[in-house]
Amino acid sequence: CREGCSLSPIRPPSDQSSYQVLVDVSFRSLLSSHADPGVLDQPELKRVDQIRLKQSHTAATTFILEAVKHNADESTISSCLEELSFSADRIEVFYSTHQKHRRELQLLLASIGRCPPQINDASWRLQYHVKNDQVNKVNEPFYLIALNTENKGSSEDINFTCTVEQLQDLVGKLKDAAKSVEKASQM
Amino acid sequence: MEEVDRILIHALKQVGTEVAEETLSVKQFSSELIVQAVVRCIRVIDPGLGSALPTSLPPGMSARFRVGMSLAQACQDIGYKGEIGYQTFLYSNEPEIRSLLMFLVEKLPRESAEASDQPTGKSVVLQRAIAAAIRAQLVVPWLPPNCRLPLHTETQSPGALHSFHVQPLSLPHCTKGPGKNQLKVSCFTQAPLVLKMKVNDYQRDILPPVTAQPSHHASVVASILEQHMAELSAAQEWDSEWNSQGLLSRLTPQDYCSRKLSRLRKRIEEQLRSAALPPAESAFWGPRSTSDLSEILQAFRGSAPSEHILTKGTHFTHTRKFTFTQQQAAAGTSTSIPAGHQSESDIQLRQQDEQLSLQEHFQQLCSDVEQLTTDMKHMSVTNAQVLDELKQRDLGNSENKDKMQVKKKTIDLLPDTDNNMLKLQALVEASAKRVVNLASQWEKHRAPLIDEHRRLKEICSNQDLESSRKLSEIKSLHDKIRVSTEEAKKKEEIYKQLVTELENLPQDASRSAYTQRILEIVSNIKKQKEEITKILSDTKELQKEINSLTGKLDRTFAVTDELVFKDAKKDESVRKSYKYLAALHENCNQLIQTIEDTGTILREIRDLEEQIETENVSKTVANLERIQDDYKAIRQENSALAAKVREG
Repeated sequence: CREGCSLSPIRPPSDQSSYQVLVDVSFRSLLSSHADPGVLDQPELKRVDQIRLKQSHTAATTFILEAVKHNADESTISSCLEELSFSADRIEVFYSTHQKHRRELQLLLASIGRCPPQINDASWRLQYHVKNDQVNKVNEPFYLIALNTENKGSSEDINFTCTVEQLQDLVGKLKDAAKSVEKASQM
Repeated sequence: MEEVDRILIHALKQVGTEVAEETLSVKQFSSELIVQAVVRCIRVIDPGLGSALPTSLPPGMSARFRVGMSLAQACQDIGYKGEIGYQTFLYSNEPEIRSLLMFLVEKLPRESAEASDQPTGKSVVLQRAIAAAIRAQLVVPWLPPNCRLPLHTETQSPGALHSFHVQPLSLPHCTKGPGKNQLKVSCFTQAPLVLKMKVNDYQRDILPPVTAQPSHHASVVASILEQHMAELSAAQEWDSEWNSQGLLSRLTPQDYCSRKLSRLRKRIEEQLRSAALPPAESAFWGPRSTSDLSEILQAFRGSAPSEHILTKGTHFTHTRKFTFTQQQAAAGTSTSIPAGHQSESDIQLRQQDEQLSLQEHFQQLCSDVEQLTTDMKHMSVTNAQVLDELKQRDLGNSENKDKMQVKKKTIDLLPDTDNNMLKLQALVEASAKRVVNLASQWEKHRAPLIDEHRRLKEICSNQDLESSRKLSEIKSLHDKIRVSTEEAKKKEEIYKQLVTELENLPQDASRSAYTQRILEIVSNIKKQKEEITKILSDTKELQKEINSLTGKLDRTFAVTDELVFKDAKKDESVRKSYKYLAALHENCNQLIQTIEDTGTILREIRDLEEQIETENVSKTVANLERIQDDYKAIRQENSALAAKVREG
């Protein structure tokens, strides 16, 4: 994270109002759900040189993402910004905006990845298989399980059949999984 | 004493005893409280012993007596070495209770010590953070999808997830100041400046900001992170390479980069050339020694569509071409004939005939080609030979011409031989002198130049030594910087960890108060020890003086006694003075004795006063009254039980 500071040379504009606007704009441009190419067209930012503004915007967004990724606390952020020679009230402004949006940014970063569908509900049915066209006497019970899962907001059902032993195996494995999560939380 | 009591009360509270807030010292403990505290401690120390003991005294006197005995027994089993019995609990006194409670509290197992024994490593901290996060997530109850609050969205219903998709971003580059641009204009042509201005305009007006560049908004975060990581790793690699090899090469960064670039280009060229050589040989005739990288790439591109170019293909390409045309011809002939079972054999025969003829044709062509190549080779060899001969003849011609000229000149000079001989000799001498003159001049110039050359070489080698020394210094400085930054980082982390641990430690009876008190006590003891040693030395001095004085007194008395006694037989006044002397000596002895006795008695008084105080503390009188009351109660109970036994 420290090295990241040295690479992103944020050179903020000289007055306070445009600095505040730039910080707000940087956070907003990351969090908005659709890309807005006009996000830097604020009236307070028109006076600043556009290339420098874009560089500062890039550096600011990179710094914000790295700070949230490393879950940096206040002392780390303020020391990094001090190394880049920011004044104390600017650090304060940045940090307060960061705290406001931190949860959303964490959710944004957490949304990158894969996740298997989550099980919301389960329904079961116990059937007894008497005979079929190849064997005259089968006489076996079996279960029909329907798991109602939710994946990316849409729910779908997973249906399968299993014998009693297989169901016991499944339940045993689920219990093992629960136990190991408990153990992990005790470490 | 208060601190000890405070510690005891705090420890007892932790074990579970209900100590009221006002009780600040062990003196205020009642019997019930004492029993409760002791039993709870025993339960923690040794659950087997403690479970059998009640936490409160039963009302009956004999039962109380029994409980007291069992408690005393339990304490002795745990290992208390002091005097203990039922009276410690029923008729307590302060010092005994204090020592018993201190013993029990010390015996309590130290659970807290285990928690703080864990090592503070980075991975341990991370694992603990993970465990805390998992615990927090486990606490949140599961709710069905319709009831979920935003609190639950993270763990129970994650929204749309996007995979990590990266798009390259174009960042606005740093623009140098206007001064450097002007310099560039003066050195180079106008074209790069125009290009630079166009790039600037594009970056200023048209280039969208970084968050708007990726086509899909979900890949903004991934692209920014990836770009940053790439820059970071490139910077780190450049740093490490520059520090290891760049400094050694003693070039500026730009020179080093350009040299590396040209070296890499040459290597690529060699590789491509070796890979491209077989087809290139066929396409071009003669050695290609100075082919540039771009030409080789051109050759690659150019060699693909070579179908209809009539070049000297290799054996392989020719066979390929011919089999292809053969198959085409075969396919053509087979489709032109209508399908019929009778004509199949005909078709086959015809095909075979065609094949044979084509093969013959092909073989003839091959032999022709070979012959032509050999002819060409032969002719080129003869061509080269002829050229060589021509050159040699030319050389011979020019030599002969020179010889002829010389001979012509000598023939011209022949008629006037003597003069010409003299002239020629003079010329020869003059030229010899000139040669000698020029040689000396050259020597004159040469010596200082050689000295200069040597001097400059020395300076150069010195500078080399200097620069290598400075390089090693720079390297060691870099290492030191790196090591100290790592140490600083580590120390900061340890400091943070320790601060968090300090906050997590239980905030009870403060350690600083203890440590201060301990330090005070230690200094007090030191002072007292000094005073004691001073007093001891004073006492020794006094004792020595007393001894010497008594000794002197005895000797003086003995001498005076003898002296006076000798004269006492004769003179009456001397006899009287002798009696007075004896009486004086006797009285003084008595005085001294009385003083010593007074001192002893004072000491005894002090000791007795101390004993009275200690006995007062153990409130014996009140306990005695209680014992008498309890004794009466026990007697009553005994008589009641006896009456019951007699009745029933």
